[in-house]
Amino acid sequence: MIARRFPLPLPARVRGRITIAFLAALAAGVGGLALLGISGWFLTGAALAGASGAVAVFNYLLPSAAIRGLAVLRTAARYGERLWSHEAALHALAGLRSTLFTRLAHADGRSAPDFSGGDASARLIGDIAALEDLVVRRPGIPAALGTALVGLGVVLLAGWLAALLLLVVLALLLAVLAQMPPRLSAAPAAEAAAAVSRLRRMLVDYAAARSEIITYGLADRVTSLLCAEADKLDASQRQLTRIEAASSGLLILGSAVAAAATLLASTATPPLTALAVLAATASIEAVAAIARSSAREAAVVEGTARLRSLLALPAPAPAAAPAAADTAKASPSITLGGMCFAPGSRIALIGASGSGKTQVIEALAGLRAPFHALALGGTPLAALSADALRAHIALAPQEPMLIAGTVEDNLRLARGGIDAAAMEEALRTVQLWPRIARMPHGLDTVLGEDGGVLSGGERKRLSIARALLAGRTWLLLDEPSEGLDSATEAALVAALGAWIDARGTGLIIASHRPRPLTLASEQISAAAIPAAAT
Amino acid sequence: MRIPKAAGLAWTSDVAGAAVFAWGVALALDTSLGGGAPRGVITGAVLVVLGGLLRLASQYGAQILGFDEGRALAQARRALVFPRLLGITGPSAPALGATATLGIDHIAAEQARAARFDPVRQSATLAPLVVVLVVAVQSRVAALILFATLIPFVIGMILAGGAARQAADRQMAAITALSALYVDRIRHLPIIRHFGAEERIARQAGSAAGDVAERTIAVLRAAFLSSAVLEFFAALSVALVAVYCGFSLLGLLPFTAPEPLGYRAAFFVLVMAPEFYLPMRRIAAAYHEKQLGEAAEKALAVVPEPAARPAASDRVLLRDVVVVWPGHRIGPVSFELGATGLVCVTGPTGSGKTSLLAAIAGQIGQSEGTLETLPAEGIAWAGQVPLLLPTTLDENLRLGRPDADAVAVNEAVRAVGLDALISRRTEGLGTAIDHHGAWLSGGERRRVGLARALIADRALLLADEPTAELDAASAERIIALLAHEAKHRAVIVATHDERLAAVADKVIAL
Repeated sequence: MIARRFPLPLPARVRGRITIAFLAALAAGVGGLALLGISGWFLTGAALAGASGAVAVFNYLLPSAAIRGLAVLRTAARYGERLWSHEAALHALAGLRSTLFTRLAHADGRSAPDFSGGDASARLIGDIAALEDLVVRRPGIPAALGTALVGLGVVLLAGWLAALLLLVVLALLLAVLAQMPPRLSAAPAAEAAAAVSRLRRMLVDYAAARSEIITYGLADRVTSLLCAEADKLDASQRQLTRIEAASSGLLILGSAVAAAATLLASTATPPLTALAVLAATASIEAVAAIARSSAREAAVVEGTARLRSLLALPAPAPAAAPAAADTAKASPSITLGGMCFAPGSRIALIGASGSGKTQVIEALAGLRAPFHALALGGTPLAALSADALRAHIALAPQEPMLIAGTVEDNLRLARGGIDAAAMEEALRTVQLWPRIARMPHGLDTVLGEDGGVLSGGERKRLSIARALLAGRTWLLLDEPSEGLDSATEAALVAALGAWIDARGTGLIIASHRPRPLTLASEQISAAAIPAAAT
Repeated sequence: MRIPKAAGLAWTSDVAGAAVFAWGVALALDTSLGGGAPRGVITGAVLVVLGGLLRLASQYGAQILGFDEGRALAQARRALVFPRLLGITGPSAPALGATATLGIDHIAAEQARAARFDPVRQSATLAPLVVVLVVAVQSRVAALILFATLIPFVIGMILAGGAARQAADRQMAAITALSALYVDRIRHLPIIRHFGAEERIARQAGSAAGDVAERTIAVLRAAFLSSAVLEFFAALSVALVAVYCGFSLLGLLPFTAPEPLGYRAAFFVLVMAPEFYLPMRRIAAAYHEKQLGEAAEKALAVVPEPAARPAASDRVLLRDVVVVWPGHRIGPVSFELGATGLVCVTGPTGSGKTSLLAAIAGQIGQSEGTLETLPAEGIAWAGQVPLLLPTTLDENLRLGRPDADAVAVNEAVRAVGLDALISRRTEGLGTAIDHHGAWLSGGERRRVGLARALIADRALLLADEPTAELDAASAERIIALLAHEAKHRAVIVATHDERLAAVADKVIAL
């Protein structure tokens, strides 16, 4: 049942945990039922024995010991259930996360789903977290059914009619709760989801126009527009709360009806009737867990479907040739429009902002599908795999694109097996070594999201150091000296020049500022590169 | 003791239904035990169903009232937080994504806490006392037993609960950190792919997930201890009451019976016993909402208030003004602009042109230097992504001056070159738009913002990239318009556009 809902086959270890958690949940459920039932049976038996003077023949030691034992069993079983079901969920989710990440990472960046926006990635995480809840709850469902069935068996002691009535109540509750809440809540749930996304879009749009809102004193007016939308959201959520509250209320009433029916229909002795009445209520309470889980499950259906579609991305090919080896074999030329540049050329890509410089650079780096007529080693970009492109090209993008982690984590992204000396050399070249060396943790300094503790110019230079360390034939620099003072810019440009001279690396550079452009020996205008023939 | 609000009281009133249910079961069983008339059994069964109905009413009501209390809190929060989220700009203002998280998700988390956790928390002090009192009417000793289990329970909760709370908080922190790592790596997939680092990063991310899972499980062992303590005492209280009542009925108590106890009373007390710890179990079930709600409350508490405006002046004067925020430094900038003239602020993307404009508008405080500017009523702003309210185009154009006459509106519309577009719409200026500007292009939205600033007719006009996303002819027209405006008001423009900078009286390069 679990395997069907979870979008990946579960490993044996996880399945084992789920089975143990199920057994623990069953023990806890049946233990609770028995605790109350046997207590009632014991009490009634004791009253009969006390009244008839048969105290001497009433075995009170066994039931009283059973009651205490059951109290401990129920506690231990419940603890075990929670621990094992969470263990199962955590391991299942860890596996899912890494499989998902691997699939996404190996997809071709030019056609893969785009998660660069915070919203898309947060939704992915939300979808995964919702599944965790699903796995945690799964062992409880068969256990609850088992408990309800045990309760039914116990009620049979009070006669077949009592058992039949309980079965009817159970079946009715399960049928109604499986049908009605999902049907009734479909519309308000859809409205709530729509209202949330409308509210999100409005808030983002209005926040983008903050300066105008402040200038014209419109904060109150905009707030009331947002609050009106939020009220719509609340209204549909109130509807959902009513459905949820009515479902749980129905279960409470069902348990009372089952108890009353057992009382009226019982043909057994009073002690067994007492046992049956309490067992009947316990079976219905067990069913409540199923109802709650099915309500939650409805909420994760959409997310699970989204995850499934991502998991359907092809699994990575087993052994891709190492990129560095390729580079050594061939140093391809680059063709920009009609002009072919030999390896080792140094090209300035010029043009006003918006003329497509970054577009050209990102297409060469395999970050986006090419718009312009570009070729590597004479083959048009569109005909090359992303792997072929990145084997020869290292990019320091306009946005530094630093990952959360240490300075070293960011540098090591460039390729495997970089040593400390190489990192120091690269950092010296980008004029960042003194700054990093001064930090208490040096290369192990944790940067935080998007390069956190570094300034804009420093982030940029770290990203250049990373591109240098990649050791590709072509180096692509997009606005390398943005945000730098003049002295640092001069030092950076000189050191970059020396680095390139020493290695014969080809260079394509785009910059608004004149000094970095002196690294280049040829110029081409981005606007002059024609669009690719389609 | 905190007085519960309506929802808390509704949860507490659930005890009444439980008592009626318990009494009905006890009555019916007592009647059949005594061989009494079937009428007693029927009355008992009716009471049982009645008790169920009462519980349904209490719990249904409690959930709805709880929702309403949460909604009231959320409405108050929105009224407080939205103006703050929209009333600050510059580096201290939350980014767009964070704004949505704060204004929607965090408020929703607080709402859920107020709706689900707070009411059960409030009833958890009162409801057990009510249970004890109801039980005491039938058996003082049983009431005393219930009450007595509370003492080791509280000690147990203090010992296990404190550790458990910390553990639960740490678990949430660990999971949040892991999620953040995944978000970060997924967002940066393009660069990871570019360097061919998929395999390494996937391995790292996989082992990080495994590590967090292992550590979280260790943490959970402690976190679940408090629920085990709760579970244990809930079970123990039932067991103790059952054993006491049973032995009392048998007359086998090892001490003189402190009270006469009939079967009916004994059974009533037994059925009521689980109700004593039920409120605490409800708290445990809503603990996650409490955690999320608290985290959200902390996050919302640090949304900054709008900066104080600089003292009003009749000119714009910047002397060595520097605006600083972590990782960025703008300036020093010095210039003066009187009643007329055109100043262009230029510089590459990310150099802080918009932030400097916001500082001149008095919306961001400078870190160094002195800054004089006009009062808010003297400034008009034409932004990069202009505000569009879901109303008519006409009303949107008049946002800066609702009483502007039709001539001024038409003139401004013509000046920015929107007249052709508007005359194509059958409803003209009365055409409705939404907040996203559905039928307007980026350049057209920008021109709506500029027309609005002209209609506002203020002494100082601030325009952020007014010619971006425009074709050459439209841009020329806007440049001429701005140059013309600068003859009778002060105009400051942030721009990339060299043609616009060429007509400026002064160019400030960042």
